[in-house]
Amino acid sequence: MRGFQQRGSAPRGHGGSRHHGGPQGPQPTLDKPKREAILDLAKYVNSRIRVKFTGGREVTGVLKGYDQLLNLVLDEVEEQVQDPEPRIRTLGLAVLRGPTITLLSPVDGLEEISNPFIAQD
Amino acid sequence: MVLPLSLLNAAQNKPMLVELKNGETFNGHLVNCDNFMNITLREVYQTSADGDRFWKVKECYIRGSTIKYLRVPDALLDSVKEEQTRAREAGKNARGGSHTGGAGRGRGGPQRGRGARGGPPRGGRSRGRAM
Repeated sequence: MRGFQQRGSAPRGHGGSRHHGGPQGPQPTLDKPKREAILDLAKYVNSRIRVKFTGGREVTGVLKGYDQLLNLVLDEVEEQVQDPEPRIRTLGLAVLRGPTITLLSPVDGLEEISNPFIAQD
Repeated sequence: MVLPLSLLNAAQNKPMLVELKNGETFNGHLVNCDNFMNITLREVYQTSADGDRFWKVKECYIRGSTIKYLRVPDALLDSVKEEQTRAREAGKNARGGSHTGGAGRGRGGPQRGRGARGGPPRGGRSRGRAM
């Protein structure tokens, strides 16, 4: 703890006092106010969501937690296995790694339908 | 020139078709997007890669790195170009007002660059390190 502090403050404290108070604070915020996540996962907490991964695996589960990297904590996780035949594999409580997630959607409001484009095209 | 992400940003609340690398497609309205091309859609029709199965999804999040392409309305190109020229005009006017006059209206580029970025920080730093 102390060593860390010294390393950080000693070189600056000598001659860098003028730099220190300068424009360093506001500069990163001026960059762009677009750092917020485009998906608000708070609204899905305690509801069932569907997640697809790179490689094609697909699970559903109840969202219990998340972080800014899109790592998720899901409870009552079930994997929808397609090969060799469609079945469900129960996984329980799981941490899903954010960078491997390709698709995320709520299970509520999800329904398989017949071709909706026939009439249009 | 129209940048891909500018076009995408301008496509918010517009209908679009997204095809993923795995062949799945998503038709829906763009809710939001970021600089990684991660997107959120609403009122989505999802189609399986083989085109045999279809789902209706209220909303979904798609990771940008899995996208093959997005199709957006043709009219979007015109509105983005219009927006660009309008922004350019606004920039010109602002520059003209803050400087002494209209001397270098069209060629204000280098001068503006020095004023906005390099000027003050560079001066301050070089003085500080001169010892």
